[in-house]
Amino acid sequence: MSAAAASSDASSSGSPGDSGTEGHLPPFVDRRDGYASVTKEVSDAVLERRPGRLWWLLLAFGGALTLLMLVSIAWLFYAGVGIWGVNTEVVWGFAIANYVWWIGIGNAGTLISSLLLLTRQKWRSSINRFAEAMTLFAAAIAGVFPIIHLGRPYLFYWLIPYPDVMEAWPQFKSPLVWDLWAILSYLIFSLLFWYTGAIPDFATLRDRAKGRIAQLAYGSLALGWRGSAHHWARYERYYWAMAAMGVPLVVSVHSVVGLDFAASLMPGWAETVFPPYFVVGAMFSGFAMVVTLAVPIRHALGLHDLITPRHFEAMAKIMVLGATVMGWSYLIEWFAAWYSGDIYERGLVVYEFVGDYWPLYWIMLFCNVLASQVFWFRPARYSIALIFVVSILVNLGMWLERLLIVINTLSHGFLPANWQTYAPTFWDVALLLGTLGFFFTLFLLLARFVPVVSMHEMRELVREEGAGR
Amino acid sequence: MRAGFDLEGLRVLARDGRPWKSLDELAGSEEARAWLESEFPRLAPLLRTDRRRAMGLVGAMLGMAALTSCGQPEEEVLPYVNMPEGLVAGNPLFFATSLPLGGIGRGAVVESREGRPVKVEGNPDHPLTRGASDAFMQADLLGLYDPDRSQTLTRRGTASSWDTFLGEAVPVLAKLGAREGEGLRLLTGAVTSPTFAAQVAGLRDIFPKLRWHRWQPIPPDNPREGARLAFGQTAEPRPRFDQARVILALDADFLGPEPAMPRFAADFAATRRVRRAGPETMSRLHAVEPLLTLTGVMADERLALRSSRIEAFARALGRRFGLGAPGPDLKDDEGRFLDAVARDLEGAGPAGLVVAGRGQPPAVHAIACLINAKLGAVGRTVEFLPPVEAEPVPHLASITDLARDMRAGRVEALFIVEANPVYDAPVDLAFEAAMERVPFRVRLALYDDETSAHCHWHVPAAHPLEAWSDLRGEDGTVGIVQPMIRPLWGGRTAHELLAVLGSNPGASARGLVEAYWREARAGDDFDAWWRAALQRGTVPNTALQPLAVTARTSDLPPPRFGSEEGLELHFPPDPAVYDGRYANNAWLQELPRPLTKQVWGNAVLIGPATASKLGLGDGDLAALALEGRTVEAPVIVQPGQAEETVGLTLGYGRSRLGAIGDGVGVNAYDLRTSQALWAAGGASLAPTGETADPPLIRTQDHHAMAGREIVKEATLATFVDDPNFVLGADDAPPDTTTLYPKWPYPGHAWGMSIDQTVCIGCNACVVACQAENNVPVVGPDEVARGREMHWLRVDRYYKGDPAEPLTLFQPVPCMQCEKAPCEPVCPVGAPVHDSEGLNAQVYNRCVGTRFCQSGCPYKVRRFNFFGYADDDAYANQGTEPFKAARNPEVTVRSRGVMEKCTYCVQRIQRTRIAAEVAGRQLEDGDIQTACQQACPTTAIVFGDLNEAGAEVVALKKEPHDYALLGELGTRPRTTYLARIRNPLSDEGEG
Repeated sequence: MSAAAASSDASSSGSPGDSGTEGHLPPFVDRRDGYASVTKEVSDAVLERRPGRLWWLLLAFGGALTLLMLVSIAWLFYAGVGIWGVNTEVVWGFAIANYVWWIGIGNAGTLISSLLLLTRQKWRSSINRFAEAMTLFAAAIAGVFPIIHLGRPYLFYWLIPYPDVMEAWPQFKSPLVWDLWAILSYLIFSLLFWYTGAIPDFATLRDRAKGRIAQLAYGSLALGWRGSAHHWARYERYYWAMAAMGVPLVVSVHSVVGLDFAASLMPGWAETVFPPYFVVGAMFSGFAMVVTLAVPIRHALGLHDLITPRHFEAMAKIMVLGATVMGWSYLIEWFAAWYSGDIYERGLVVYEFVGDYWPLYWIMLFCNVLASQVFWFRPARYSIALIFVVSILVNLGMWLERLLIVINTLSHGFLPANWQTYAPTFWDVALLLGTLGFFFTLFLLLARFVPVVSMHEMRELVREEGAGR
Repeated sequence: MRAGFDLEGLRVLARDGRPWKSLDELAGSEEARAWLESEFPRLAPLLRTDRRRAMGLVGAMLGMAALTSCGQPEEEVLPYVNMPEGLVAGNPLFFATSLPLGGIGRGAVVESREGRPVKVEGNPDHPLTRGASDAFMQADLLGLYDPDRSQTLTRRGTASSWDTFLGEAVPVLAKLGAREGEGLRLLTGAVTSPTFAAQVAGLRDIFPKLRWHRWQPIPPDNPREGARLAFGQTAEPRPRFDQARVILALDADFLGPEPAMPRFAADFAATRRVRRAGPETMSRLHAVEPLLTLTGVMADERLALRSSRIEAFARALGRRFGLGAPGPDLKDDEGRFLDAVARDLEGAGPAGLVVAGRGQPPAVHAIACLINAKLGAVGRTVEFLPPVEAEPVPHLASITDLARDMRAGRVEALFIVEANPVYDAPVDLAFEAAMERVPFRVRLALYDDETSAHCHWHVPAAHPLEAWSDLRGEDGTVGIVQPMIRPLWGGRTAHELLAVLGSNPGASARGLVEAYWREARAGDDFDAWWRAALQRGTVPNTALQPLAVTARTSDLPPPRFGSEEGLELHFPPDPAVYDGRYANNAWLQELPRPLTKQVWGNAVLIGPATASKLGLGDGDLAALALEGRTVEAPVIVQPGQAEETVGLTLGYGRSRLGAIGDGVGVNAYDLRTSQALWAAGGASLAPTGETADPPLIRTQDHHAMAGREIVKEATLATFVDDPNFVLGADDAPPDTTTLYPKWPYPGHAWGMSIDQTVCIGCNACVVACQAENNVPVVGPDEVARGREMHWLRVDRYYKGDPAEPLTLFQPVPCMQCEKAPCEPVCPVGAPVHDSEGLNAQVYNRCVGTRFCQSGCPYKVRRFNFFGYADDDAYANQGTEPFKAARNPEVTVRSRGVMEKCTYCVQRIQRTRIAAEVAGRQLEDGDIQTACQQACPTTAIVFGDLNEAGAEVVALKKEPHDYALLGELGTRPRTTYLARIRNPLSDEGEG
């Protein structure tokens, strides 16, 4: 572990220490690492080390926020959606913004796993496990919002086509029905992909576990994995097939979320650019969230050898790409509004810049477009601290974007007599913080019970990079 | 303690608050029972109640409880239109009656279901309403069920009984009778009831020195005094706007809160409808006024002027017409306006009409009368009738006399019927203190309010929907008031109280009213005549005959101008609570005021320039001072208001009324003195530096159309030149822009047309919709959060210079789009399109995603964020009595459900079923939506688009018909006729 500590010093200084000797990019994995050290580094975090005081403190913090989430939802069900700041004109508020934001975050894990696997970006191996877990958690949280935001949430199952005696079916023209299927498929896919991807690692943990309970638990999860060549051959085929399915799912879930808005007539929503724009936005915010999570996980679990500055550099590049595409998307929106000559669209764009929520809009533009531009510069891409800060800004900016998409349009529709602003209430904020806390708690538990880095893929990477021996 | 038992001991035991089931248990001893038995032998059997007897008593209680619950009136009431063999459960019955406002009877037809009145409409046979109504009439229904109405007769605040009251009143009256009624005073508002007047006349036999004082805060004094100045006889002008071509309104808000508004508005609108055929018949309205009113909004030419300048303007106009009306010269702009008005009036001749507002001094009314006489308009556009008020007296003088006499100790007994002088008498009379000197004070009123608090006896009054009486309309036509329901809380009518004074305490109101008419109509077969009168709601041949008037030639008295210094403070009646009598009516409190769109309160209104001079803006708290008295109120900057004027509507700041009205708004009566009932110079207004708390609540925050063609408008000249002016680039796309075939509607195809030229923004439709469709009240906090529930709203926009804006009203119900954006987005298909083109909402299918409203371009859907109708109802709105007011044909929506306008689908179905049962076809006009029926100007027309002869079809073929946001392709079934104005400048100055 002392080696890991040393390399962390080097990487956090921002200058890639061993790149000088190569005259080339630093590697995705430490050359000194071998199968054993990789496995040990990851599995010890789960099996050997006892949780420290910090872990318990953080769990208490996350648990408190989780409790806040539960109380918020309980009070919501008891008192009704009137406890939120929504009103007759701005009928949607934080709940929908949160939903879109969380589902966006739930995007990157699958993208990293599937798309990077398919494109043979090997560096994904050290981050894909927790990125996938992030997807799973975020998508699960996102899936809660469309249900609890209903006026009568206990009737959510009416969206499902089931044979009821009234022969009443869902309305298949509604994007919300598409949404239900998109989220549901995505959730199922994410769970399967994450779980099956971890089966070889569960087997490793089963083999290394010393306690009877852990052996039984991990043994059950490992589904009898023995690591035979047959297993591996089938596993590889299956995993690649899943990955191939994942990419269209990511696109579909986000396109459908975009259609929730685009299927209406409202200025600022009825735009053909919405589906791709939402996919890009989701990828962007998802990558930012991966970075936001990777930094503390790497530090807390001492995974400096496995999550290296090269990973951050790669992700910084993706962030600058995302930011630029987002900037283009905004430009297209503004241009389309102007070029269409539509007085309502034009009015909305002006309203975005100078209307009731103008500070939020400017902050959003800064966070989403400008902040990541710093990664055009190589030193910035190697400053983990900077990447961390920017990733948080992007998370904030993307959340603001989702909120503003909802409230700008609804506050500034067709008839000026209806123009009305939105202000969140305590319960709006409580639910947002509560879900963040819940997400955080799930991650703490994940880090405690599941290998956060895919050991079997890291071993493969170690072999391919020709490291150690 | 057990041994020495006494009643005091029992009281002490009871006082500690422990619950006790019987005195026996309370005392806990056999001795107690024995003692009670010996002390109260009649109670003794109750103390030995066995199980059998207890069951019997419980059964009897249940039976009696059922007996006392509300039912049909005991006396026979005759149905208006339908006269079924017997009541068919589920079918409504309609009864004619009259509802008072300011003493004037407004003919109504009340829909009653299983003995419960559920809706008020205008009576088509009554000359004042002619089938229409206004917001006050609509809201009277809610007032009936108001649980805050006093429910018990009280003596100095504690419950008492009618018999006890009689026991105390009769000796007092006997003593007064011995002195010919010296010191006996009666105070009422304006009374037009012939029966009441006859009763008072009868009382004078017993009490020759009885004095009958009159006070209502919006008194009819000035027009009468003006007519007396002009013609030397007591008369009241009755304008006939339908006959007028050119109208000048001198601070006269005849389209605003005013008892005869439905009549005036209908007459006015009759001259304003612009159609392709014959648009040149449109009349022209000139208005000179200090505050912006609904009349000013409709005016084609308007001049904002301080009240003190209006008399100068009127006098100058009088001189122009050759009257001896000395007065100061006019300023340039006033002069120009006057020239134009004068020329226009001269051109109109007998079709010209000058009307003056109640708040203008008698001299202005006299000038108006005399100019009308000069124009030859008397008998055509204006008639002079004897006052409809019985024994007319000037109200202000009358209340002043009463206050003086009370202070002097000359009043022995005061009977107050409905008037509320402690709250609304001029503040300088110190009425409350004066009243304390009267040894015997009795009040009959609906509410145990400010005045009742200072009376020895408070007698709950019967609501007009529970009472027998008779009332005259503004033209004198008598309408019989008949009860729709037995008094919910045992209220008494004024007639019954007067009967007590007349030593006939047992008389029933019905008996008194019927007896009066039996005598007044000397003829055969009274019973048939009486039944006919009750059925029609009006008594034939009771309209007053116009007086022959001749103008006096003598000069008018010299002007007494108000101060030109400082701000001029105005006290207009409120468009929602009138003079305060409707302050406890939640429908009216939550009704967006037509111009300010404020709800749940009033505000200091100031013009834009005055506001910037004083450094005040919307929602700031300002201190308004007049003659050393100060109130603090929130500010609203009102475009179009004369600068240096301040408006504060009457009727708020009630202190003892009920759960709805108490503490809402600011009491303008605190500043209103007998010298300046209507307007006072020398007021001052200063910012307090604070924001009003409770804050200003308005339902519309944006007042301009932001360059959007939402309310299309043009002048009459433009319309004549180019009738198709509304067709713009942004108009609805033609049918050919879609590849899909047009959806067929083979049966009926419902549609609506709203004429913005005659919509006066009066809000009658909004309350009518609320009453018809069980639209809940949400309360001030929820409105502040932007969650008002009105299915039909009236949007108001200003256009042009804030000092002289064009004000536009646009009633917005659901557009019932053929291509409705709300329908495809709902995941459960709650909004569905029916075969006749209605955009229906299936409430019990709705899960509350709100996707429909977020996509609705018109934002006409309303969401139950809380259970406004039941669990989370505002204040007392969820209590039992109000549930009786609900329309049983319309679902009451629960929490989490979206609701919307349905074109009153229940009315469509009811009428359709009735037609099918009768074996006939539906005809145009059979079905009226609630908003359409209430509208005094018939601005809203509903009908079948597939019926070639339907009025709505003709209206949609008018060249100025357009669809709101039609360019979106939603194909609304509701379309609008553009607002057409008829300003003078179009005629090139004649």
